[in-house]
Amino acid sequence: MPRVLGVDIPANKRLEIALTYIYGIGRSTALEVCKRLQLDPGLRARDLTEEQVTQLAAVLQEEYMVEGQLRRQVAAAIARLRDISCYRGLRHRRGLPVRGQRTRTNARTRKGAKKTVAGKKSVKGMK
Amino acid sequence: MGRSTKKGPFVDPKLARKVQKAGEPGNESIQTWARASTIPPEFIGHVFMVHNGKTHVRVQVTEDMVGHKLGEFSPSRQFRGHTNKKEAAKKGR
Repeated sequence: MPRVLGVDIPANKRLEIALTYIYGIGRSTALEVCKRLQLDPGLRARDLTEEQVTQLAAVLQEEYMVEGQLRRQVAAAIARLRDISCYRGLRHRRGLPVRGQRTRTNARTRKGAKKTVAGKKSVKGMK
Repeated sequence: MGRSTKKGPFVDPKLARKVQKAGEPGNESIQTWARASTIPPEFIGHVFMVHNGKTHVRVQVTEDMVGHKLGEFSPSRQFRGHTNKKEAAKKGR
């Protein structure tokens, strides 16, 4: 398996998909990169030549923020919100949804698995 | 949707005047109800007492807060925990 940017080992998939295994690369960025390097997006990742892999790595490194750097940037942005104790920061601290979603039901991505409370009436029962 | 760039950020005009009058940031706090006002760089260092619907919450403006709104720093809801089963039963009847 080819290694692009150290840790990332995209699988035996079409290049446009394989690239999305890199943090910070989605479908559109993947296609953009393919186009710039004049690579066929349908090409399997395993069929890349050594040279092409190097090229890919160079472009991703230079012109896109990916992986560790991007993760750090995101973490720093959240840390800033926490530090100034604004509303969004408080929501991050409490592990609740940040963008005004309802929390009466759902919000399971942020709140984690259900913690059943005895005696609590079901949503259907509330009126 | 965000606010149009053409208009620029909304800074409560009355509050901006008050800040200007206060001059250098001192220890004096400025009481305000203008939660919707964006914090421009001129506010850095000033202390505001931002209304949360009940009382005024002390907010010391730092550089990082620029671009946020005053209300974001003055929580208007207070979560005291859920009632337990016994209390809930008492309340019910």
